[in-house]
Amino acid sequence: MNIAMGNTFKALVKREFWENKGSMFYTPGIMAAFYAVFLLILVMFGNAWVENGHYNIDLFDHLPKMTAEFDSINEEDRTKVVQMGLYGTSVSFIFVMLIISLFYCLGSLYDERKDRSILFWKSLPVSDLMTVMSKFVSVTLLIPVCYFIVISAFQIYSLIFATVGAWFGGSSGINIWASSNLFGVMFNMLFSLITVSLWLAPFWAWLMFASSWAKKVAFMWGMLPIFLIVFAEGWIFRSTYLIEVIGERFAEAGMILASNVDRLVDGDMLDGAGSAWYQVFGNMEFWMGLIVTGVFLAGAVFTRRFRDES
Amino acid sequence: MTSLIQANGLSKSYGSHQALKSVDFSVKRGRIVGLVGPNGAGKTTILKAILGLTSYDGELKVLGLDPARQRHQIMQKVSFIADVAVLPRWLKVSDAIEFVANVHSNFREDRARHFLSKTNIPMKAKVKELSKGMVAQLHLALVMSIEAELLVLDEPTLGLDILFRKEFYNQLLAEFFDEGRSILVTTHQIEEIENLLTDLIFIRDGKIVLDATMEDVAEKYIEVMVSKDDAEKAEALDPVMHRDVFGRRVYLFEGVSREQLEPLGELHSPSVADLFVAKMKEGK
Repeated sequence: MNIAMGNTFKALVKREFWENKGSMFYTPGIMAAFYAVFLLILVMFGNAWVENGHYNIDLFDHLPKMTAEFDSINEEDRTKVVQMGLYGTSVSFIFVMLIISLFYCLGSLYDERKDRSILFWKSLPVSDLMTVMSKFVSVTLLIPVCYFIVISAFQIYSLIFATVGAWFGGSSGINIWASSNLFGVMFNMLFSLITVSLWLAPFWAWLMFASSWAKKVAFMWGMLPIFLIVFAEGWIFRSTYLIEVIGERFAEAGMILASNVDRLVDGDMLDGAGSAWYQVFGNMEFWMGLIVTGVFLAGAVFTRRFRDES
Repeated sequence: MTSLIQANGLSKSYGSHQALKSVDFSVKRGRIVGLVGPNGAGKTTILKAILGLTSYDGELKVLGLDPARQRHQIMQKVSFIADVAVLPRWLKVSDAIEFVANVHSNFREDRARHFLSKTNIPMKAKVKELSKGMVAQLHLALVMSIEAELLVLDEPTLGLDILFRKEFYNQLLAEFFDEGRSILVTTHQIEEIENLLTDLIFIRDGKIVLDATMEDVAEKYIEVMVSKDDAEKAEALDPVMHRDVFGRRVYLFEGVSREQLEPLGELHSPSVADLFVAKMKEGK
């Protein structure tokens, strides 16, 4: 790829960010802000609530006890507790990320036709292949990176929050940071997000393909064929092959994400063999998935190139 | 003179409907060509074929390249504004300039900023916050900053008010057009651009019914206002069309010499609009 093409590609990905800033960045950002404020409120008013309630538990009375307990457990367990807590904060973000990715793909080649800007984009010397690839890279790299940034910020906030809690409990809180393996967690987080998105790439590519030929309601064009084929397969062959393949993909996506925690609890949490995100690359199904992805993306490129916009 | 566009036997069918019936035409460098025809005549099909947006039969070369296969190279040197090529509503003005600058090697960013500085368009505004006229100004500023050899305009001023339409074409002439470039334009408001055009192509039912330079048109087509008494003499010269104006009759002649017509009354060049009406009625 020469410099001019590199610039074009960067500009195209940037373009995707401009258009989708809301779902890519503001949505997780608002979620994080909401959780952050919620935690603060819980601490500030949680005390009063429990006092007035039936169970007379005073958070501040308990803090010294909790802190002492945390400091007393062995280092290995402490590491597990903190890291699991950190991974735990990411769960809802990842869930939202996958939903956002789904809708991003559905709109990726449909919205430009709906808002009639496609001919403006097509008036520029950008090939359809580059355009489609920029959108694919956006879903498999840009979105995970955006969510990673927000998740990391929230994880750091959570650590600071816990540290302040430890101060109230009479500890320095240094153990929390020492046990966090923060950079390791961040590294695993970033790459599991990207890996999961790549693992689900056949699904994203299918939705992009559907998006490129949908006349109306891209969601229907994306979902209906899957349901119809699953239904037809069951009716004609009395089998459930497709739905099993799809179901397994998603289950394994969950396992990739859970692998970070699995490793901490000795790989038993989801009864999965997947003990790390990078092991996915040794999985034949992963590469077969990328081939399927390539076929659907080629379909999307072809449709965008030759579709008659009238 | 080299041809920027060369079409030979260009055809296009939508199912059983033949939108283009083997048309031949060329657009040479340094010309402003008006492509005029009623709705459904095949104008947009021709433009789309030139821009590589639709398939076609026959031979078509744009800048010596094949639009069906080399569209992305062609777009390095060809720009277009169509009424349907809308700028996306979420795009920020400054981002639009940045984007085009990054993807288009022939884009002159300083020019775009210069054009925009002469308008009321704020750089930080999004397209959705701009008026329709401002969006068209922005689009024109972007397109005029591309050092293109061919500019294709498809109803570029549709829905804009008259002041802006005049300004649009004036700017295009003053800031963009020169002898190295060509403009191919379709519009329904033909009277607004007839003084701009160097060439005229009329199309009807997928066929070209007129393809001539404006000089040829002025030479070949003559309008004469004839008093009722001379009407018979005028009819004898086989006019293409006539219309009645204040009790007198205006005849339009094609290829009849000035010497023959002068005795009948005052000679005029017909307006493109009148010529268009005549050509569209011909043979019907």
